[in-house]
Amino acid sequence: MTEFLAFPFFQRALLAGFVVAVVCGALSFFVVLRRLAFVGSGVSHAAFGGVALAALVGAPPGLGALLAALAVALATAKASGDGDLTEDTAVGVFTVAGMAIGVVAISFLETNVDLFGLMFGNILTVDPRDLLALVAASALVVLLLVLYFRPLLLASIDEDGAFAAGVNVARMRLLVLVLLALTVVVALKVVGILLVSALLVLPGAVARALFSRWPGFLLGSVSAALVMVLGGLLLSVALDVPSGAAIILTGTILFLGAVGAGRLRRNA
Amino acid sequence: MSVAARFENVTVRFGGRPAVESTSFTIPAGMRTAMVGPNGGGKTTLARVLLGILRPDDGRVAFLDEQGRELPRPRIGYLPQRSTLSPQAPVTGLDLVGLSLAPGPGFGMSPEVEAEARRALGRAGLADDLATRPVGRLSGGQRQRVLLARAIAGTPAILLLDEPDTALDAEGMKTLRRLVAEEVAAGRTIVYVTHDSDAMGGADAVFRIDGRLAQETRA
Repeated sequence: MTEFLAFPFFQRALLAGFVVAVVCGALSFFVVLRRLAFVGSGVSHAAFGGVALAALVGAPPGLGALLAALAVALATAKASGDGDLTEDTAVGVFTVAGMAIGVVAISFLETNVDLFGLMFGNILTVDPRDLLALVAASALVVLLLVLYFRPLLLASIDEDGAFAAGVNVARMRLLVLVLLALTVVVALKVVGILLVSALLVLPGAVARALFSRWPGFLLGSVSAALVMVLGGLLLSVALDVPSGAAIILTGTILFLGAVGAGRLRRNA
Repeated sequence: MSVAARFENVTVRFGGRPAVESTSFTIPAGMRTAMVGPNGGGKTTLARVLLGILRPDDGRVAFLDEQGRELPRPRIGYLPQRSTLSPQAPVTGLDLVGLSLAPGPGFGMSPEVEAEARRALGRAGLADDLATRPVGRLSGGQRQRVLLARAIAGTPAILLLDEPDTALDAEGMKTLRRLVAEEVAAGRTIVYVTHDSDAMGGADAVFRIDGRLAQETRA
């Protein structure tokens, strides 16, 4: 039953899953706190356009995804910061534009694009180069989160109070969106475009249902992401089902359990 | 350190309509200043310009030391009329005051910051067990005391109170008047936005704002 643990591809998948879980779990704390679930979904969909354009010009798909996700994140921050649009409206507009660009780019391609892999990911195909890029990008995201944790937290819960305390609120909004874009690209290979937004929302939602203070909320979010990714991965091998879907279903079960446990505790 | 602020021809427009127009006045250092006026007259707008939350369309605010030299915007303790603090924020009063005292890059709270945060919460009349309770589990009045503690923590150069009589209960107002008296004695510059300057125990300078500076009275 456990012989698959000896395979290098599975060891790489476990390591990749661990890294993605830590980075998504940590950022999910801010996604849930700042109600950025739709923005996360939008940025991941915009990455689709970037991957398709990259395929058209022969550039690495990861680079295309990163540039598209960053462009949407920066445009969203600029549009909402200027007060012309709310964050959700801005991301809604840029998302559909990104998807449309992707579809147009794919229509010009002469080779087939692995759309299923792009949409749902496949952690079991992570190669050593992917793993290295994953670890480097994740380390950058986690480092920035640790460095800017205090101003990010304050700006996320009380914008005016943060401003009065001297926090550059606009810069913190931009930082969260840039980290979101980086994380989307990091998680793309593991769970794909459609499911990456769930990995950015479910861990935080699980922890939010259980903890009322930030240390528990943050650690709970990372722990929930680890259980989701590693549990889902083992489940996918054991049941021979796609890994991305198994990861998200594990998270959904965790979420339902956390909501139930939270209600029981409040009513006790 | 006493700091005076000078509004120089400040104009703020919302959707093209001026909320305050070409308004100039100086807030005296180390004294109590009241900005009074009708609802929609632009008092809170000027308070937000002072804080830097709003950027004026024209004019500016300058901060000056005792010698009249211009300073960067100092730390301003702020008690808002309507707080943007999320009631579901995953923080205690102690967390919030600590974060506001040391909002720079980093993680966690130093013992010095925690001691100052506890001192401010105590001065604002919040018992230790309430100070360490998540803000979502506090009553509205208790949450206002947390915000009051945040405003006075860390000896800000200016203490800005926006309509405190609408947000605080009678007991909270009593605490606030005591704190204002202590802060004035310590040389702090106090600015309050209010309908009734007497509610705060009088003011050394009163600026009546009604779209612009309508009247200036000094004690």
